[in-house]
Amino acid sequence: MTTTATTSEPFSSAQAASTPTPLRRITQNFYVRRIAKALFTIWIVITIIFFLIRLLPGNPVEQYIARLIETQGMDYENARSQAAALFAIDLDAPLWKQYFDYLVNLLQGNLGVSLTSPGTSVASIIARFLPWTLFSVGIGLILSFTVGILLGLMMAYRREGVLDHTLTIFASVVSSIPNYLIGILLVVWLGVQWKVLPIAQMRGTMSPGVTPSFSLAFLQDALFHAFLPITTYVLTTMGTWMLSMKGSTVGTLGEDFVTVARARGLKDWRITTAYVGRNAALPLFTQLTIAIGFVVGGSFLIETLFQYQGIGYVLSGAIAQRDYPVMQGVFLVITVSVILANLLADFLYGWLDPRIKVG
Amino acid sequence: MAKNKLDWQTGDANDGRAPLSLENVHVAYNTRRGKVRAIRGVTLDLHAGESLALIGESGSGKSTLGLAIVRLLPDTAETAPGVITYRRNGREVDVLQLKPGELREFRWSECAMVFQAALNAFNPVLKVWAQALDTAKAHGWHDKDAVRRRLVELLEFVQLDPKRVIDAYPHELSGGMRQRVLIALSLLLNPQILILDEPTTALDIITQRTIIKLLRELKEDQGFTMIFISHDLAIAAELADRVATMYAGRVVELGASDDIFYRPRHPYTLGLIRAVPTVTGGFEQLFSIPGSPPDLVDLPKGCKFHPRCAFATERCKQEEPELEEVGPGHTAACWHWHEVEAELRRNPLHRGALNLTDVIAVDVEVA
Repeated sequence: MTTTATTSEPFSSAQAASTPTPLRRITQNFYVRRIAKALFTIWIVITIIFFLIRLLPGNPVEQYIARLIETQGMDYENARSQAAALFAIDLDAPLWKQYFDYLVNLLQGNLGVSLTSPGTSVASIIARFLPWTLFSVGIGLILSFTVGILLGLMMAYRREGVLDHTLTIFASVVSSIPNYLIGILLVVWLGVQWKVLPIAQMRGTMSPGVTPSFSLAFLQDALFHAFLPITTYVLTTMGTWMLSMKGSTVGTLGEDFVTVARARGLKDWRITTAYVGRNAALPLFTQLTIAIGFVVGGSFLIETLFQYQGIGYVLSGAIAQRDYPVMQGVFLVITVSVILANLLADFLYGWLDPRIKVG
Repeated sequence: MAKNKLDWQTGDANDGRAPLSLENVHVAYNTRRGKVRAIRGVTLDLHAGESLALIGESGSGKSTLGLAIVRLLPDTAETAPGVITYRRNGREVDVLQLKPGELREFRWSECAMVFQAALNAFNPVLKVWAQALDTAKAHGWHDKDAVRRRLVELLEFVQLDPKRVIDAYPHELSGGMRQRVLIALSLLLNPQILILDEPTTALDIITQRTIIKLLRELKEDQGFTMIFISHDLAIAAELADRVATMYAGRVVELGASDDIFYRPRHPYTLGLIRAVPTVTGGFEQLFSIPGSPPDLVDLPKGCKFHPRCAFATERCKQEEPELEEVGPGHTAACWHWHEVEAELRRNPLHRGALNLTDVIAVDVEVA
């Protein structure tokens, strides 16, 4: 993150010598350049994804034919003709032409139409399922980040104490178990063995009969259904925050400005928050924005596991049926969320840390 | 110069008693290797308006002593036995017995400390003004306008442009500027005592001159009470009224600045002076003190300097000397101080400390 700010230095200083033309000034602007870079990255990633998913064995038509043969006992010829009638996509067209069409459509804001549920646009699928993922992942991350940072700070202040040792073990254990295993353990323990949670009722994103609205009842219901995914996200990511924050805080506590702050007679609370905490948390904000992207991508297994109809749930269905447009759309969403998060980190960092000049 | 407008504190309200007295102060660090005995029984009086220099090699305990006075030693440090008495306006307290809240108030408002590494002395994410305000607020001073006026005065005193500095982030200031800001900040609450730990180390020679000039003004014109920790004898000679030489956690010689630099009576002080090159000289022989400072975990018996001392005898290996009077207001802890005196008569300090400081002290005009 910091490198972008420093590499822009020689350009801007060279520019200062001559009066920049308006066009030049726009192209030299930090934000414009950063956004251009983000768009370029998105293009690279969607290109790779486009070709990668076509390298997967089988295509939507073959998957469909196979299913028809399997479930309805049709012969191959019949199944093929039925499939061809159903799918509006010309999978026999040269790959470069498909890619070109895809890009042109994308530029017009058209993400395409689902292959397996014809008539449903990919955009509408995303619009329907993405909010749930953002909701659960967002709350999970904010919770784990805040709690993790606070615990890490405490651990650093009481390092080598009982609290530190206990929490370090806890953090190492939870962050080393894969998230889907934690999810399964939650279901098994909380739902099946101890029967603390009504697992069956918690499936899905909301209870039947509830409609989305800005009401407390809806929020309660949404949180009830998102409880297990959120808990899983918190458990799997919190350990990393705790350990990073602990390390960062221990380093900051050794800084001269902390000693000077003590010498100045500042109150402990002020030193902990504005002098130690704020400086120690700085490098973690970059990690946080990167984590947003990863968690959206990682929601795939968790949402499938808990039957939580978010974007990851849609993706797993789309992959099983080789629904290319939906897969492309979901991957695009994940890519954009990672890149947006990075962009946000770049822009935020200059504000959080005055030493990094933005612009 | 804005200095005349400042309401400086002169520590005269103690009926002539020293604002700070150290009695038999000990500091030991608990480490895996054992107890590091950094300070072993230091007794000192810091008189009102005087500036006292602590000189010595690295590891002699001078910085530890400075930190002990404001109790900023790490948790591994143990400060017993010993009493550090602080007096102001007829009241006195033992700094080592202060409760956390009292200690917090004592720091900076009674005794401020300017640190060696001023480069990192400031929180990088807060502006100078915010940090000054933090300091004032911590001591119950909430009048923002008054704090700002005071800070502007002080920044002018240290020859900085307040408009430029007050709303700057620390990284926007040069090392010398930061050091001056820290000095200005140290005066914010009008402390009675100022401790300066190597205030000019890590600064270039021109910037050093500015800082020294500033400190001299504080001392001479404002009569500030200062403890000045330095390994730079020239600067110590220039700024100090009295000098204490420290070795292995003890004061081994204490006296007026002139006595120490012209008539040293401890072989270690003599060695330090002879080890300093002069700017004009340079063809004369320099003497270094052989060996290195002792291991503070496992100190030698007797005088701790004897393994490195040219005057050492059997007695020095067995008995540790106490400070004894070697002249008016001049004490040294050496069994053989008469021989040091005789040696100085044979080989006087041709280009001693004074010549050295005269050369360096030619004022460099700083833009």
